[in-house]
Amino acid sequence: MNNKFLETKNITKTFGKLKALDDVNFNLYRGKIHGLLGENGAGKSSLMNVLSGIYKPEKGAIYLDGQRQNISSPDIASQLGIGMVHQEFRLVESFSIKDNLTLSKANIFKDDFLKSFKKYSEIFALNANENEIISDLSVGEKQKIEIMKLIFNDSNIMLLDEPTAVLTPQETSQLKNSLVTLAEEDMKTIVLITHKLKEIKEFTEIVSVMKNGKMVAKDLPTNDVTDNQLIELMMGEVKKSTINKDNEIGQTKLKVENINFFDSVSNIKKLEEINFQIKAGEILGLAGVSGNGQVELANIISGIERIFEGKIIINNNDVSKKGVRSRKKLNLSYIPENRLGVGLAPGVSVIDNSIVRDYFFTKLGPHISKSRTSNYLQSLIKQFSIKAPNPKAEISTLSGGNMQKLLMGRELVGNPDVIIASQPTRGLDVNAVDAIHNLLIDQRNKGSAIFLISEDLDELFKLSHRLLVIFEGKIVKSFNTVDANINDIGLAMAGVSE
Amino acid sequence: MQTSMILDWPWQVLVNKYTLSKRQVVNELSTFYSFLLGFLIALIIGSVILIIQDKSPGDTFSLMFKLSIGSVNSLSSSLNKATPLILAGLGIAIINTVKLWNIGAEGQIFMGAIAVNLIYINFQFSNSTSFIFILLVSSFLGGAFCILIPAVTKVLFGVNEIITTLLTNYIVIGLTIYLVNGPWKDPDSLNFPAAAYVGKEVYLPNIFGKLSYGFLICILFTAFAHYLKNNSVFGYEMRIAGGSEMTAIYAGINAKQKAFFAMLIGGGFAGIAGGVELLSQTHRVSTGISQGFGYTAIIVAAITGMRPIGIFLVGSLFGALSIGGSVIQTIGVSTYIADIIQASTLFGALIIQFFFNYQLKRVDDG
Repeated sequence: MNNKFLETKNITKTFGKLKALDDVNFNLYRGKIHGLLGENGAGKSSLMNVLSGIYKPEKGAIYLDGQRQNISSPDIASQLGIGMVHQEFRLVESFSIKDNLTLSKANIFKDDFLKSFKKYSEIFALNANENEIISDLSVGEKQKIEIMKLIFNDSNIMLLDEPTAVLTPQETSQLKNSLVTLAEEDMKTIVLITHKLKEIKEFTEIVSVMKNGKMVAKDLPTNDVTDNQLIELMMGEVKKSTINKDNEIGQTKLKVENINFFDSVSNIKKLEEINFQIKAGEILGLAGVSGNGQVELANIISGIERIFEGKIIINNNDVSKKGVRSRKKLNLSYIPENRLGVGLAPGVSVIDNSIVRDYFFTKLGPHISKSRTSNYLQSLIKQFSIKAPNPKAEISTLSGGNMQKLLMGRELVGNPDVIIASQPTRGLDVNAVDAIHNLLIDQRNKGSAIFLISEDLDELFKLSHRLLVIFEGKIVKSFNTVDANINDIGLAMAGVSE
Repeated sequence: MQTSMILDWPWQVLVNKYTLSKRQVVNELSTFYSFLLGFLIALIIGSVILIIQDKSPGDTFSLMFKLSIGSVNSLSSSLNKATPLILAGLGIAIINTVKLWNIGAEGQIFMGAIAVNLIYINFQFSNSTSFIFILLVSSFLGGAFCILIPAVTKVLFGVNEIITTLLTNYIVIGLTIYLVNGPWKDPDSLNFPAAAYVGKEVYLPNIFGKLSYGFLICILFTAFAHYLKNNSVFGYEMRIAGGSEMTAIYAGINAKQKAFFAMLIGGGFAGIAGGVELLSQTHRVSTGISQGFGYTAIIVAAITGMRPIGIFLVGSLFGALSIGGSVIQTIGVSTYIADIIQASTLFGALIIQFFFNYQLKRVDDG
């Protein structure tokens, strides 16, 4: 472990006020598989983007084989042999496998190509002809092509951003074998970005941990660290702030029974045997790293996703077979994770967006009353202190906080019985977060049953009475927030089950 | 945000220094101002071309003005000319509420006229007013029928409607050529391929002078389109569906259904343009039913930012321009000068509109 192949020193990168990378030192060793662990937003992807020339850091230096390098563009990174596989694939869908692999290599002989393609097809267990078109391949196969692309580009350093997120368990273990072969036989240096502890343990030899843009631990030999140590590093200190949770709890408002959901596009089972209920005045938190089935679950409860097994019962009405509107009529509100794009329609005015939930209350026959609509918006603006000076302006002219307040206000003003709030404070500043939390607490005191989906453990501890942890579509643990142990939750979120 | 840098690599220096940002507040009359400025630019471009040809811009424009809106008669001709343009433009604007483009208005106009003739030769009504009404309804249905295939393929398979609506134009114009040379060919028209004239009893009468009742229909449809787009629940649902299909689904709005009906209604508007044109102007089906109205209507709709009342005003102006353009031949100026002015107005207005919506900002943080 003495020859550093790549070394970064004091890398700092800011976006506006946000320090995405704060004085980051990071080392890579030739022929090893490295793990880079951290929560969402910890700075893992930013660091990889710096190494691959997409982001330019304000401060810091990168050394490759002891030589200082200025990686100012992805072109230069690729000349230096650094390549990255992004979470969203960058393949030309209408081209063949061969064309994608040789895109940046105009002068490769056909025989050479076929020889290498055969060799790496075996390593990756890829069962495809080089003339097949990318769009005909499965997600797992596309990813194999993405990684092979790096090899054909002569990349010695391969940065893989959450490569297993789209894979089935079988494909994941297959990927592991291929990466080990590449590291051992071809001396490839591989970085695996992930927040799944199990994969760190299985795949990597060396692990580094990031938290809030800082490198909190680096060059740890994977075999010598325990799960608990890694979780502590990754989570840092979670504030167990307390609000009064002795409010009145009433009747069961929402029952979710035996939900199973199979995504036919990716062929992956997204949800398995989900069961819970929420009573009036209760906040139930759902903790989990995003992409473990939270969006699917919220969509099923709100009626957007209609093809699933199981039962959704709102106020003792079975709505499993019913659509969005009938659930709204039973006074269910849904604050979706994707603020602009799902909750609010981009390119449409503030006033039009403000009545998305209740526009049938502002209509007179086939007519939408201008005065009722405008009164409705004004009362929202007043009640939820939203800054929206021009109702006719496009929604995207509002700040993130005001957009979220408008969205929350619109969904909460009717005093809903059941609220699904998905990542309600993601990306907001401290004041806006407080305002949103207070809205949810108010609503809880008024007797709403609230299902709070979040990645932010501070938030979940502060607001919820009980916590469920979701991992790969299954509820793996359930906790009472008063006496829960944060490390246990962290381990459950990272997929470690004892 | 950062990745765009890679794509724009040759202009990296410029891109790094300046950025385009959307203005927070856009003047509500910006579309109107950009139209005025665009029209001014178009007049300047027209003048330059006239000067190159040794013609006096002043004489030409004043003649165009006099012969297009200088008298009641010429004004009536201009408004009659504007009617199909406005109706087709309104249809395009309705379809654009769901952010779809109708390039097939030309074909829908022809289909509207074909539908009128089809009903006329197969059915007879003693009451001519109700007959005219039925013929107009059938022209609406004809236009809607014409856009049916693009609408179905868009909603079911996501096929790009710009291409399919464009292609239907060629199909319908082919159909028209077949009909007027074959089954519908009027033996009395000698060698000119056209269907027989419809009877005088179904002519759309004139309100006064030469101004046809078609223009009244046009006013009513403008009001209807304005209401539909801006004040109705259907219009609201179309706007949300056009803004984001996911938001529509989230709100319980069937986005695909809204897109489907928006397309049929918009096609119907263009169809009725063909019906009005046949019943008030040409009185028979021929390949001359539309002189590119369906394409010019796209320009009209785009210049006005898809606003029905704007379409009415700009459509009227464009009607006057084509009447003006057709008479300046008498002083040896090509009629195409009117086309040049129309096209340059679009370019000018769209460019000016861009600067109303966006501003160029220097990037501080490099």
